[in-house]
Amino acid sequence: MAGLSRRRFLQGLAGVGAGVLGGCAGLSNLTGAKAHVVVVGGGFGGAAAAKYLRLLDANIRVTLIEPKAKYITCPASNWLFAGLTNLDQLTVDYLALQDKYGIELVVDSVSSVDAARRRLRLTSGQSIVYDRLIMSPGIDFRWDAIAGYDQATAEQFPHAWQAGPQTLLLARQLQAMPDGGVVLMAVPADPYRCPPGPYERASMMAYWLKQHKPRSKIIILDAKRSFSKQALFEAGWIKHYGYGAANSLIEWHSLADNPLLELDRQSRTLTSEFGDRFRGDVLNIIPPQTAASIAVQSGLSDVGGWCPVRPLTGQSLFNEFIHVIGDAAHYASIPKSAFAANSEAKACALAVASLIHQKPVAEPHWLNTCYSLITPEHGISVAGVYKLDAVSAIMSVKGAGGVSVRNDDEAAALEADYARVVYRSLVADTFR
Amino acid sequence: MRRICYAAALAASLFGAAIHAEIDARAIAFNCLNCHADSPASVDTSIPSLETLSREQIQQALLDFKYDRKPATLMPRLAKGYSDEELAAVADYLSRD
Repeated sequence: MAGLSRRRFLQGLAGVGAGVLGGCAGLSNLTGAKAHVVVVGGGFGGAAAAKYLRLLDANIRVTLIEPKAKYITCPASNWLFAGLTNLDQLTVDYLALQDKYGIELVVDSVSSVDAARRRLRLTSGQSIVYDRLIMSPGIDFRWDAIAGYDQATAEQFPHAWQAGPQTLLLARQLQAMPDGGVVLMAVPADPYRCPPGPYERASMMAYWLKQHKPRSKIIILDAKRSFSKQALFEAGWIKHYGYGAANSLIEWHSLADNPLLELDRQSRTLTSEFGDRFRGDVLNIIPPQTAASIAVQSGLSDVGGWCPVRPLTGQSLFNEFIHVIGDAAHYASIPKSAFAANSEAKACALAVASLIHQKPVAEPHWLNTCYSLITPEHGISVAGVYKLDAVSAIMSVKGAGGVSVRNDDEAAALEADYARVVYRSLVADTFR
Repeated sequence: MRRICYAAALAASLFGAAIHAEIDARAIAFNCLNCHADSPASVDTSIPSLETLSREQIQQALLDFKYDRKPATLMPRLAKGYSDEELAAVADYLSRD
């Protein structure tokens, strides 16, 4: 087995696909036409689904529709606040997906889905017909949650919850803030994209402030009573940022019973239901979220704002030819992370290949691992192993997963290194 | 060929696509690549490459992680999520030439 190259390994995937499905390779139906799968959204879910589908069966035609020619990853984008990365390093393109895997890229957005005719209309006016549709459109924001905070206001008070110009804007505001200034961070209730993200962001900002503006403070105003990896974050904050002391760089306040209702732009003040007022120099307001609007408009979401799916295949509960994966979909208790989106994409690709060939769908397995940096040398992680239970619902496998067991310096340094390597690997596994 | 396909498709539809196939190692093993995809054997990274390991080496490592015989920060938490048979199938798949 020595010398098995990654390239050969990947060829092996295609080989196995052809072997398993060989008799009917390429048949979308009994008429012999080549199956066409359209993937909407080129993030970690959509890109991985497109790539793995082609690896599983090169006879399936795969089209990826994504409005941006290049993609800036949300994972690792918090590291920018500590000066550990920049937008260039966070940017990936779709060249490998096209050249190595033969995926047809359409740089456009979907304006409507005609599910009855299995046809998409694009903003350019073009129409695309599919046999199966995989929707991985990500999130949109609920602008009705905090009065005075809307899409236009986000240009002044960035959410930075879709990586890109918003991330840069927030970093520049942090850098321009006077020493002794206050950063307010408003964090929504579950579920939302990247549960530990706000706390990693606070950590990375604190790391930078500690060096450059040590009299400053980050105040997290949280709609939750507790948060992901809380004990690990708080232990790290005590160790590095004086958490709990009067001059702590980070304060965390639960506003679970006293939600933030209003933003006054002029005074940069957030007001809660009980009338508590919080004034900041920099405001990072992360609004509550829903599935991206195209999924909602297409009738794929429920009253909760996310898209319910049949976990075995990722098929929408509302349309058997549409699969939904990634943050837009409801795969609870799997969290909304890029890692999980990639895992959902692989399970979905296996299911779609089987469905196209009218084969039984194998039992899916999902995995999630999320690393967060508290400092550049202090990493922590949470993991989960997921499969179907007896009634075909998603369950977290008991006895597996959980947060970092060791929290000593050696383990913290190892996990900080793994955070970087895993980020690069996840990008490679998804986009290259 | 088309006739064979038709028969297979008919059989599949008779039994219903919802019936689960047997353990498909790919359903588990694809997830290994999330973290191990960027570790070609030629590059020295802290997350080991899977390329040069034999089936026996991978299987032994996975079982050692699962039963806490081999310390690590993450893998013991993941390996406990699978049966010994599933880990063996994963090792077999990942070491395939």
